[in-house]
Amino acid sequence: MAASPVTVTPPAPGQNGPGGLAVPRGLRNANRSLAVAGIGVIWLALLGPVIALLTHLSWSSLTTALGAPGAFDPLILSAESGAVTLGVLLLLGTPLAWALARGTLPFPRVWEAGVLATLLLPPLVVGLLLVFMVGPYTAIGHLLSDLHLSATDTFLALVIAQVYESAPYYVLGAQAAFGSVDYRLEQQAALLGDPPLRVFRRVTLPLAAPGMAMAMAIAWARAMGAFGAVVIIAYHPTGLPLQIWTTLQETGLPSALPYALVLLVVALPLPIAAYIWSARARSRRRS
Amino acid sequence: MLEADVEVDRRDFTVRARLTVAPGERLALFGPSGAGKTTLLEVIAGLVAPRRARITLSGRVLTSTGKSVTALPPWQRRVGMLRQDPGLFPHLSVRDNLLYARTRSTSGSAGAELAELAGLLEIDRLMAAMPARLSGGQAHRVALGRLLLSHCDALLLDEPYAGLDASLRRTLTDLVVSLVAERRVPAILVAHELAEAQAFADRLAVLDRGELLQVGAPGEVVLRPAAHRVAELVGYTAFVPVPGSGPGPGSGPGPAAQSLTVAAGSGSGSGSDSDSDSDWDSGSGSVPGSGSVPGSGSGPGSGSGFAGVVAGIHPDRVISGRHPDRGLVLAGIVSSCRPAGALWEVAIRAAGTTVTGRLPEAVPTGTVAELTAVDPPYFDADGAAVVAAAAPAGDHAFAEGARPGRAGVEK
Repeated sequence: MAASPVTVTPPAPGQNGPGGLAVPRGLRNANRSLAVAGIGVIWLALLGPVIALLTHLSWSSLTTALGAPGAFDPLILSAESGAVTLGVLLLLGTPLAWALARGTLPFPRVWEAGVLATLLLPPLVVGLLLVFMVGPYTAIGHLLSDLHLSATDTFLALVIAQVYESAPYYVLGAQAAFGSVDYRLEQQAALLGDPPLRVFRRVTLPLAAPGMAMAMAIAWARAMGAFGAVVIIAYHPTGLPLQIWTTLQETGLPSALPYALVLLVVALPLPIAAYIWSARARSRRRS
Repeated sequence: MLEADVEVDRRDFTVRARLTVAPGERLALFGPSGAGKTTLLEVIAGLVAPRRARITLSGRVLTSTGKSVTALPPWQRRVGMLRQDPGLFPHLSVRDNLLYARTRSTSGSAGAELAELAGLLEIDRLMAAMPARLSGGQAHRVALGRLLLSHCDALLLDEPYAGLDASLRRTLTDLVVSLVAERRVPAILVAHELAEAQAFADRLAVLDRGELLQVGAPGEVVLRPAAHRVAELVGYTAFVPVPGSGPGPGSGPGPAAQSLTVAAGSGSGSGSDSDSDSDWDSGSGSVPGSGSVPGSGSGPGSGSGFAGVVAGIHPDRVISGRHPDRGLVLAGIVSSCRPAGALWEVAIRAAGTTVTGRLPEAVPTGTVAELTAVDPPYFDADGAAVVAAAAPAGDHAFAEGARPGRAGVEK
């Protein structure tokens, strides 16, 4: 068979090559600008409350509100109870999240549904139900009073309410973080001689840490801002959210705003730090 | 010495195998995907619980389900495992990965050994890099180095180089071979590619659906498969009925005593061999194409003599031309001829089945070609090898008393 000469015909001018989209450059740029602008509007809408807060806050109202004696007490209380809440979550939520992620529990869906239930219940309802669970006339309440404790209008009550409001955020976030760790890496570590706890410390935890940090940061923000359950079982002592509420009730909107800023200032740094840290940890792995 | 006698349940079958691997010995577990090879390794590594097993490694009992139950956890077995995914810890640098198993108690001599091994593996300039930056080959070298620095007592390699290109695979295989010899540890490689298994192993075990079909030298298993199924697995693509081998009338004294020609049917113009005095294919103008399957001889053909024995044809063990002194001559019409690497894959229709051979020269389609299957293995209706054991490779037992038989050719 004679080989036929191969001819390559160049595409005629004006035609697009195969696979190319016939969109003029100018139109493409306009499209892009439009898309960015649209996303920008959505982003600004989400940030709207923060912008409103900053624009409506006057320096004088800030100094008068925060200059009053004891003005920082709610802040300190919230920070303390938030820290304790975080500790409780770390201690109790981490093993639960790990077990959920590894799927080693029987009927894993049932366990997950239990965690979701606390997320799905409105915080106010959680507060009401907590009264029936840890209130003074319940079995747990009796037990607590034997220990000279009470879970009504105390620091303990505040912590309990915050734990219930923030736990699902932490557990689900940490579960996702553990779930992203390849179990074969843990197997490999075990084959290299590490018993389970050391595998957890050397492999699982470092790999899950960025995700867990984010989960903790979100849980912290939820705990600091917990209101629904808190207002039912821990009206006193007064944390920041309740301070905002009572100030609003008693003296009106303008005097409540400074506390809103304080809440923002206290609740945000940790999530932002966690975000930056986890982003850096992830990029370090890629370099 | 690694000794494993394992019975472990899989979803649809039970893996049963008994293996012994001496220090410095390299055993390849070869079989199709899903044969249970990886499961076997995971039982040895302690990652999967067996139904029944006794595994010892240099005198230590790793698993025992007998009277005294032992099940050492993976971290106490000192068994190293390398998988297709190198499994480097992404949060640790190459150096920290390599030294992962070197904890306080063993870190004394690590530095010198690390340097030596890194040089050998050609990863000494990557020490500070993070695993995400490594190429596939580099990652595998690091994983291998980490395994060797852990001083495990046995190496389990689970298709470690499946995703790598051929030359890299070769280099790494050679490296492992020399390191296993130097360390004198028993090594098991799981492979579903025969060439890879052969390049690595000095003993080859064929596993299929959890059953250990044959263990032998890498060459022997291919040249002398112990069973029909083994032959299929090691690359025999066609099984042609052997004339005059069955119990029926006209059956000859068995394949070992005769030269065999499976020729094209009359009218095909094949020349010398197309005499029509066939005594075994009469009435079966078309032999079922599946005549190669053991036990299928219950059809109409079984009475006429070819029910029993089939010859396995390996495409790489076929030469062109008529060489009755070297094996089984097959004649048939060329149905296709296409390039396969540097060779031509030629398919002919013979004995009711398609026989392919890889030849150095192309053969025009439609013509009659004669191929000789060099020293083919024979299998009886039950799938067991019949002549293979009796006739060593190179024996010209087929040279005498040429008695051509014929098979019908479907066109």
